[in-house]
Amino acid sequence: MSYAYLFKYIIIGDTGVGKSCLLLQFTDKRFQPVHDLTIGVEFGARMITIDNKPIKLQIWDTAGQESFRSITRSYYRGAAGALLVYDITRRETFNHLASWLEDARQHANANMTIMLIGNKCDLAHRRAVSTEEGQQFAKEHGLIFMEASAKTAQNVEEAFINTAATIYKKIQDGVFDVSNESYGIKVGYGGIPGPAGGRDGSSSQAGGCCS
Amino acid sequence: MAPEARFVEEPVIGDELIHQGLGGLLFWGDDSALDEDSHVERLLDRISNGVLADDRRSAMTQLQQVVAESSSAQLAFGAMGFPVLLSVLKEESDDDEMIRGALETLVSALTPIDTVMGQKNEIRPATMNSDLLSRESESIPLLLSLLSEDDFYIRYYTLQLLTALLTHSPNRLQEAILSTPRGITRLMDMLMDREVIRNEALLLLTYLTREAEEIQKIVVFEGAFEKIFSIIKEEGGSDGGVVVQDCIELLNNLIRNNASNQMLLKETIGFEPLISILKLHRGSAYNFTQQKTINLVHALETVDVLLMGGPEGEPTRDANRLSNQAAFAQNRILDHLLMLGAESQWAPVTVRCKALRCIGSLVIKNSQNCDAVASKLVGEEPHAEPALNAILRIILRTSISQEFTAANYVFKCFCEKNADGQAMLASAMTQPNSISQRNLQDDGTLSFGSMLLQALVTIEKNEELEVLQVKLDAAMTPLGSPEPLLHRLVKYVAFAASTKTKDNDQTNTNGSRDGSYIQPIILQLLVTWLADCPNAVCCFLDAPSHLTYILDLISGSHACVFARGLASLILGICVLHNNSNENGRDSFAIVDAISQKIGLTSYFAKFDELQKIFKSHFSTSAPVKLPTRSSSASMLDSEEVENDGLDPMQGSPVLAAIIDPTFVNFVRRLEGEIREKVVDTYSRTRNQDAAVPAELEQRNGEVDRDYIARLKSFLEKQCHDMQDLLTRNATLAEELVRTAGSGALEAITEKPSSGRERLQSEALRHELHGAARQLETLKVQKAKIEEEAGYYRNMTGKLEADLKSLSDAYNSLEQDNYRLESEVKSLRKGGNSPHYDLEAIKAEARDEAQKESEVELNDLLVCLGQEQSKVEKLSTRLVELGEDVDKLLEGIGDDAGLPDEEDDGGD
Ligand SMILES: Nc1nc2c(ncn2[C@@H]2O[C@H](COP(=O)(O)OP(=O)(O)OP(=O)(O)O)[C@@H](O)[C@H]2O)c(=O)[nH]1
Ligand SMILES: [Mg+2]
Repeated sequence: MSYAYLFKYIIIGDTGVGKSCLLLQFTDKRFQPVHDLTIGVEFGARMITIDNKPIKLQIWDTAGQESFRSITRSYYRGAAGALLVYDITRRETFNHLASWLEDARQHANANMTIMLIGNKCDLAHRRAVSTEEGQQFAKEHGLIFMEASAKTAQNVEEAFINTAATIYKKIQDGVFDVSNESYGIKVGYGGIPGPAGGRDGSSSQAGGCCS
Repeated sequence: MAPEARFVEEPVIGDELIHQGLGGLLFWGDDSALDEDSHVERLLDRISNGVLADDRRSAMTQLQQVVAESSSAQLAFGAMGFPVLLSVLKEESDDDEMIRGALETLVSALTPIDTVMGQKNEIRPATMNSDLLSRESESIPLLLSLLSEDDFYIRYYTLQLLTALLTHSPNRLQEAILSTPRGITRLMDMLMDREVIRNEALLLLTYLTREAEEIQKIVVFEGAFEKIFSIIKEEGGSDGGVVVQDCIELLNNLIRNNASNQMLLKETIGFEPLISILKLHRGSAYNFTQQKTINLVHALETVDVLLMGGPEGEPTRDANRLSNQAAFAQNRILDHLLMLGAESQWAPVTVRCKALRCIGSLVIKNSQNCDAVASKLVGEEPHAEPALNAILRIILRTSISQEFTAANYVFKCFCEKNADGQAMLASAMTQPNSISQRNLQDDGTLSFGSMLLQALVTIEKNEELEVLQVKLDAAMTPLGSPEPLLHRLVKYVAFAASTKTKDNDQTNTNGSRDGSYIQPIILQLLVTWLADCPNAVCCFLDAPSHLTYILDLISGSHACVFARGLASLILGICVLHNNSNENGRDSFAIVDAISQKIGLTSYFAKFDELQKIFKSHFSTSAPVKLPTRSSSASMLDSEEVENDGLDPMQGSPVLAAIIDPTFVNFVRRLEGEIREKVVDTYSRTRNQDAAVPAELEQRNGEVDRDYIARLKSFLEKQCHDMQDLLTRNATLAEELVRTAGSGALEAITEKPSSGRERLQSEALRHELHGAARQLETLKVQKAKIEEEAGYYRNMTGKLEADLKSLSDAYNSLEQDNYRLESEVKSLRKGGNSPHYDLEAIKAEARDEAQKESEVELNDLLVCLGQEQSKVEKLSTRLVELGEDVDKLLEGIGDDAGLPDEEDDGGD
């Protein structure tokens, strides 16, 4: 249960691009061929290691459908990382990226790390968005970029871990005040206290509760 | 709660206002309402159009006062005030005082006033206002944004306003909050605010998360778990006040029906903080205030929900249950649960029951946790005893049916689908032996046995028993090898029986029946224990006296019907789950014993009696009792109910409590299996392989001597089987006589074993002479039968002939009948042809035909003809006289058959 840091992620993007599949592949190492429309938000968790430190990832997989947008927006602010996913076989999911980014800019905290993922790269024969286009978009908007496949698991681990590594680096660089949990980062009990000091005093005074 | 100091600066409240306020209350008339309307309107006008800041503020203050005091002002405000105040909130964010005033006014407008008039049917203005405000699309985002204001009162009133909105229009508020970006985030931030605000926010969140699953998830995303547990810790855990209760309630809302949140709790925070709420701190362990009790019960509820593994119907429920059970066990929850449920003498009964239920849920279908609870000791050395002992003692000792049921639930869960667990129960229970032997001198250490006795003594409150206790204790403990618990239990059954008989002898006039349930309870425990567990059965049968004792119990009259039924079940289980091959202990031997000592018919009758008890039990008490049992809040109610429903169980609420549907169903299934198995066992011989006639032929190449030897052994086997069957046959015959109710034969049935010996020698004699005699008889019988057959054949021939002639006669009758019928038909057809007045004639003829002959009818017809001609003559005459003949005739024609009434009908 002990971890050095806890990071909160969200996964966003159009419906059907494979967000839930990416999460399932990452947490359970399996692939779900049928589209189970996500209702609202689903939760997953996994422990990873970065720089020899245990890091807990709490991941919220959101529904891509427009009607859930107001619910899913509630998850933006408290997230440290976001996987923004499109489907390389469906051009419109790529075209919508700008509006997703707009949403994120508006509701998330400015330091949120965003990873752009071109999913379903196993379907190369049906490709509608080239790798270069993806790269270009990421570069323009300051995102990390990867093509991945939830089906073959290609780059799935990497996508989640690279995002965490980036956040970790930002912490080391002192970008975050880690005592402020609204950034989606928590210093764990098992970990070293972050550079920006510990938590507030509330927990230490709780020892003397006997009557 | 309103901060009083704030209006000191505004000492002058217009006389006009007071006057109107009182007027509105005292003279509830149209006039004053109208006044109020215009007053509110004027104030609103001053607020929106006023130029001087002070004037606007004082108008706001007055408005708040009037709205807080009078329903009609609330109504008036609702009709026109919202746009004005919302625009204040929106546009004057730099004027804290105006905003505060506006918020407080809104709170007042939404707070119901207890009107002295009590008009119940009237729409409550507060409710209406709440509805109106929640319909304003911009209002809730606006309010949520005000939560980030620095001013304490602004945040405080805003929270109050949101809570008021939530209680009146929960759905609209939930939607609005969900669709406001960061709405919930803002509310969550309030949890870290100053205490007053935090408590207010806690309440608001508790309301908000009651049903809306999406809100529950977002709240958790925002770190609710961490915040809740940190507040609980700050407030002193279970020793904290009502805030702790609010926290746990919110926690329950978040996980009760939300598998995703349960997972998150386990995955990220773990159960440790929850468990530490259950920890009793030194010094406070004796002090259970009402608040502490509530806090603990709520926390235990949370634990139980998690141990269930999630909402009903979730596909992952079983897996979740297992992993949650493991996680809880890892955090040593068992220690705390045992402390609360079995060890602490100060814990209130609701806490004890809830803790016991959690122990049950912790071990059910989880062999590791079963092991853990079985090897657990409670109490401090040197007084430590196995936890299961302590729980068993509760079963035996408690007078509270809830506690009994809860402790019983632990054992049920422990044994469920778990033969290993049942065996383990046996071995765990024998452990105290070693401890008690070690500390034999120590009076404080109670071995399992003396504990049971103590329980009995406490219940019986019978001083004489102490003697018995000492004797039994002495006889029991010094044994070199530990006595199996199972054996001891049987002793207790016997002991309970003996005390009860005594008790009845002494006090049957005042009807003391407290102890009468001990025996059935132990028997029930035995039933549960032995079922599905051949090893236990084997252990039980190790002592030959057990079988005899149970048999006596069933056939004797001193045990109650329920106990006899349970004892019958025990025997049945010994037949059903018996894997012994030893002579005298296998299922055959037991069936034999049953049939000889009790008789199969009356043995099975015990089951019927048992079912009858169940039936009457459920028809009287179950419908009321079952729904209430689960909820801790209604514990006291159900206790009363159960005490009402004593009758069917002849006296004990505890008995009423152990007969739960699970046990009844279990017995029903068991009973069916037992019946089948007993009949099956009874109707079969010991040797499974039946003789096949083909074997009797001499085989090809078989030497004569071998052949003879083989036949001989075969004969021997047959002889044995036959002996067996004959014995059973005889017993059955005896039983038949017995059940037929002949008292004269009682002397024989008293000594069934002598019958057996007699029959064995008889059987041997049969071997010698039987065959020859049988052949003789058979021959005679055959001749007789052949004779009879011939006789019957003759008889049949004769009967056949008879039948033939009869059928001939019938045929001719049929023909006659047919002929007659067609005649009737043609007659009927012919009768229809005459044209006029036939009906009248027919009617008359029907009357007359009975008395008069056909000749007379002819006469009548002649007469009629004569009359007809008369009429014709008369009518010509009448026509001549100028009368309307047709009209006259019409009447006459109708009445032709009724000459007497001609006068009346003619008019
Ligand atoms: N071939 C291939 N199919 C994929 C891949 N990832 C997802 N899919 C399929 O795409 C469909 C949609 O996947 P989901 O993960 O349910 O989509 P989603 O983004 O969660 O959709 P919403 O929940 O509606 O937002 C499913 O039928 C998946 O089997 C992939 O990498 N390769
Ligand atoms: Mg999905």
